[in-house]
Amino acid sequence: MDRRRINGPPSGTRPAVFASSIKTAPGAATERPKRQRQSNELRKIFLKTGIIPTASGSSYVEFEPSASLAAAHSSPQSLIPSSSSLKLACTVHGPKPLPRSATFSPNIVLTTHVKYAPFAARKRKGHIRDTGERDLGVHLETALRGVIVAERWPKSGLDITITVLEAEDDRWWGDAADSHDASWGMMNVLAGCVTAASAAIADARIDCLDLVAGGVAALVSDDSTKDEEGPKLILDADPAEHQSIQSACVVAYMPGRDEITELWLKGDSSKASLGDGDQRVGHEALIDGAVDAARGAHTVLTEAVKESAERFIRQAMG
Amino acid sequence: MAATLPSLAIPGQRLGSTTSYAAGPGTHVYDAVIYASIAGPVIVDQAQAKSKAKSLLTVSRSINRQTGATPSGAATVKPTVSTTAPKPATTKPKLKYNTLPAVDSVVLARVTRVQKRQVTVSILVVLDELSSSQVSDPSKTTSDNDNIESILSSAANPENHSSSDELRFQALIRKEDVRAVEKDRVIMDEMFRVGDIVRGTIISLGDQSFYYITTARNDLGVVMARSEAGNMMFPVSWKEMRDPVTGLGELRKVARPF
Repeated sequence: MDRRRINGPPSGTRPAVFASSIKTAPGAATERPKRQRQSNELRKIFLKTGIIPTASGSSYVEFEPSASLAAAHSSPQSLIPSSSSLKLACTVHGPKPLPRSATFSPNIVLTTHVKYAPFAARKRKGHIRDTGERDLGVHLETALRGVIVAERWPKSGLDITITVLEAEDDRWWGDAADSHDASWGMMNVLAGCVTAASAAIADARIDCLDLVAGGVAALVSDDSTKDEEGPKLILDADPAEHQSIQSACVVAYMPGRDEITELWLKGDSSKASLGDGDQRVGHEALIDGAVDAARGAHTVLTEAVKESAERFIRQAMG
Repeated sequence: MAATLPSLAIPGQRLGSTTSYAAGPGTHVYDAVIYASIAGPVIVDQAQAKSKAKSLLTVSRSINRQTGATPSGAATVKPTVSTTAPKPATTKPKLKYNTLPAVDSVVLARVTRVQKRQVTVSILVVLDELSSSQVSDPSKTTSDNDNIESILSSAANPENHSSSDELRFQALIRKEDVRAVEKDRVIMDEMFRVGDIVRGTIISLGDQSFYYITTARNDLGVVMARSEAGNMMFPVSWKEMRDPVTGLGELRKVARPF
């Protein structure tokens, strides 16, 4: 930072878009994208391992863009896409020697880095990791530490680096910030990170207890929601598709053992309109929903890891 | 029983109960059930008929470890049953749970620094137990550095590899571990030069940064070296190598050629 001169804004400026002008303007791009899926239906997930030859393990994950985004691509009404979808790449380097300064460790030492590409989100990210990115790294490390069999790799380190190429929005771009605003997009990113890292670790052939998968569920209320009934539970929420997200939950879940290694619940989950006779409390329903979403992601993960093992055999056979 | 085993396992997949199998590398036991912990082909090492031992269930990191019976194709891999020849009970092969250097494993390393009391080497490859005893095709070993040929051919110019040495495991050969006899007469400059490729065995996991390697055996020592003129040298005795172009000899702790 140059203190002697008048500096420009640290991240570029964008022309202001006022919510009021959007309401009246015609065109598809100015309408909030609508969720076309069932409440318990996940977006399609693309997951591939072994994309980076120099890393010992790698994976790439992509969520299917929402239907409105696909429609906007075919007939663009506005330069601003109505929503974004998650795209991220994960690399695993190691097992490799620990740095000179590190002390002796009988276990593998896990380090996780999550970095958004500068162009990943609507708000441009700097080159230095900000608090949100560091936070995601810590969450990811907790999720993975319970899965890796660390004592089989003494004296070595494992670096897990995730580059987020396209991140989920925190809200629809036309919405003004409101009281329920939080970084909802980050939770979807974390779920993607967990799934991608799990595939990359399996690709690197580091011992794991199970394939851990990430899943998100949210309690949302829309324009159509009446005041007397609480927010609805949906799996794999795209924040751009909902007027307000009351609370969201992301889990890292091992289906084989029915264990959760990471749980992150945000927002107010006290009110929820569940099905008739559903006696669960809001947060219980939310966690169960996230676990269901993780189960869905696990099926994709299984196929990707099988593919990785088959590729490995083919390579070994020559 | 083998029919229930999958040919290809993924982490967390249930393989069998501990009452019928013993858990080997690539697996873990939870609640008396063996689960796979890495992705790969499932291998059953049949127990010898005489002994009471259970069959060993492993998920392999390298399919080349099986003797003869290699799967015919990725899609049609069957659980391979390899019957190892009955060996004397004393030389039971140690199970390897990772690809890291372990005590007694044979490694190839490149000399990076020669000091009066010790030389620093960086470990290029950990040789498989099987291949090191049979000296089969050296490309069929498991490690992070799978391509041994390319590593060894690039070995003579260490300046190109200054950065990648940071990514390899470092090890020390102490003066007293160089050879078995006349330990106190060892002069390090006459044993190793920077850039030499050394075969050695790990004697200790050492401290946080270095493994300890010994070359105190006839078959251990320098296997590849370049002369001061830069030519590959051939061994002429246990302590000398010669440059075929200039004809000059240089002193090394030479490994016995096979």
